[in-house]
Amino acid sequence: MIELIATAESIDQAEQLLEAGVDKLYIGEEAFGLRLPESFTLDEIAHITDKAHAKGKEICVAVNAIMHNDRIKTVIPYLKELEKIKVDEITVGDPGVIHLINKNEINIPYIYDAQTMVTSANQINFWVKRGAKGAVLARELPYEELKEMRKQVTVPLEILVYGATCIHQSLRPLVQNYVNFTKQNTKTDKDAGLFVSEKKDPETHYSVYEDINGTHIFATDDVNLLPFLDQLVETGLTTWKLDGIFTKGESFVEIAKLFVRAKEAFINKEWSNDLMKSLQEKLESLHPEERSMSAGFYTMDPSDVK
Amino acid sequence: MRTITKKPEVLAPAGTLEKLKTAIRYGADAVYIGGNEFSLRRRAGNFTIDEMKEGIAFAKAHDAKVYVAANMVTHEHDAKGAGEFFRSVRDIGIDAVIVSDPALIEICATEAEGLPIHLSTQASATNYETLNFWKEEGLERVVLAREVSMDEIREIRENTDVELEVFIHGAMCISYSGRCVLSNHMSMRDANRGGCSQSCRWKYDLFEVDSSNQRQSLLGGEPTEDFSMSAVDMSMIHHIPDLVEAGVDSLKIEGRMKSIHYVSTVSNVYRQAIDTYCKDPDNYEFNPAWEEELWKVAQRELATGFYYGIPDESQQLFGKRRKIPVHRFIGQVLDYDEETGIATIEQRNNFGIGDEIEFYGPGFTHLYQKVEQMWDEKGEPIDRAPHPMMIVKMKVDAPVKKYDMMRKKR
Ligand code: SF4
Repeated sequence: MIELIATAESIDQAEQLLEAGVDKLYIGEEAFGLRLPESFTLDEIAHITDKAHAKGKEICVAVNAIMHNDRIKTVIPYLKELEKIKVDEITVGDPGVIHLINKNEINIPYIYDAQTMVTSANQINFWVKRGAKGAVLARELPYEELKEMRKQVTVPLEILVYGATCIHQSLRPLVQNYVNFTKQNTKTDKDAGLFVSEKKDPETHYSVYEDINGTHIFATDDVNLLPFLDQLVETGLTTWKLDGIFTKGESFVEIAKLFVRAKEAFINKEWSNDLMKSLQEKLESLHPEERSMSAGFYTMDPSDVK
Repeated sequence: MRTITKKPEVLAPAGTLEKLKTAIRYGADAVYIGGNEFSLRRRAGNFTIDEMKEGIAFAKAHDAKVYVAANMVTHEHDAKGAGEFFRSVRDIGIDAVIVSDPALIEICATEAEGLPIHLSTQASATNYETLNFWKEEGLERVVLAREVSMDEIREIRENTDVELEVFIHGAMCISYSGRCVLSNHMSMRDANRGGCSQSCRWKYDLFEVDSSNQRQSLLGGEPTEDFSMSAVDMSMIHHIPDLVEAGVDSLKIEGRMKSIHYVSTVSNVYRQAIDTYCKDPDNYEFNPAWEEELWKVAQRELATGFYYGIPDESQQLFGKRRKIPVHRFIGQVLDYDEETGIATIEQRNNFGIGDEIEFYGPGFTHLYQKVEQMWDEKGEPIDRAPHPMMIVKMKVDAPVKKYDMMRKKR
């Protein structure tokens, strides 16, 4: 069963995405969740959750931050609120949160999401034995490895099929420090639209911004696995994430619709190369002009990576 | 008079057997080494099982411990042979393994029972509940993330009794460990499997996009400077009292790739500082000679990382670098004849008559000496010692000891 998960940047967009046919929304508050298009308050999360449930859809809340003491102390009250709101699941990456969930009998299923650190079936199974109901796959995994992993894991494995890939998180304000040193006056938050490129390769485009979780740097290419959806279905990798952190508003909703269309085609057994091509064409026209797309590590040979 | 009997351990890097022995002679209570597999510093001269055995025997004779780093983040098939590996290091008497990957932790716990596990800094443990989680999983120790502050360490200590290890000296990753794959994406080298190409130290251009959607470089500030993420190195030599009083169990020095000159110098300094503090904490005085000594092997400027706040621009490598007077390692004492006052030396770098050199040894001993007379192995007088590893004799004004080292200013 294919499941489509999408981030949301506003209550409005959340409603549009539900309308468009995504199965689950991925939202949260930046104090607990990483790299979200928008930070929602508990009230807003409650509001969106009600909307989703009314449509028979689900909500996953990001609780996947690396927590320091001050935040780990506030996690339990936060989770209790989420429990009241009846969100359907959360993502977690810090073992401290898992420890607290198990100790306090919090009844929200959790998906293990330690970003770059989720790279093998045995790791995932370690967390499944400790209560995880699924896992978010690292983006640095070639198809050959994904296939192997899928065979050895029984829980759903979420894979990014569209959107940006974070490749670095530092607690240092790396851009602010630079801006201070060069005595400039530039905003460093997500809306500032900053990016860096390699001196030796000016074509590269690594988006960068700072928030309370530190500095985040993103890969040049956003991921697009639309051309490989049939392979994913065949392999049993059918939990698909669409990440709209750098794809705003309408465009993102329209892109979500393309994936909904794809999902329906698989259900109705009418997926074809032609359909894929036409969806791909539309996707390219909707994707932000300044951002490039590729399949990333998916199409690489495991031995290409040293 | 108050004394502190439970001293934190000085934990030094040992890329080779020689470095292992040197670190221990120079005061390390424990060393960490790489196994041939599963280790993050693939190029850091990893140990074979036989070398490990010899290292363990040496450590045991000196009341020191040996840990093996197996801190790679495995992909499918990478963990093959891990059970076998953990069993063999356990059976030869390794004191603990340093691991971050839960798959490896599980293999170690189930297939090599009795082998203590330390959680690697690679897992970025930043709060006490995470430590409690790993404690309940049976881990003996957690190496804290470098992003944890001194206040946070104190709070962690109050809320968990698993052993704590922290980095106190050396080069640093600027990301949360494990959460950086710059190298994977820029060079196809997996940072979490020992391949990091240090992309954070490269030069970049930084752009913003203006209102008309044009990219504008931000490199034109004043002073002009390329964008880079490179950080200065860490040294906690000024804060030994804080570290001891916070109840940290192990103080880790970074650098399995570093030389015996580095390993001996840094171990020596921290040994001295910790012993001095613990002997009489209430009358402790910082000795500036310790810091001077550390500068002799420093590669970059030194700062305190996250211990006392989020690092600002002064902890990044921007602008003109401070000139670090480089000291060159020139030899090691093999023997000393008390009657004649002549030392036998194994050369490591060219030196000769007229050079002002410095001998240093375990226990922070120092002797400054001008080279006046030298002989080669056959007893023929020579002016210089140009050949690597050649054996020379020289006259010294005060006694030196076997294993003392020699350096000179460049
Ligand atoms: S690129 Fe820099 S921050 Fe990233 S893993 Fe390598 S050394 Fe660490």
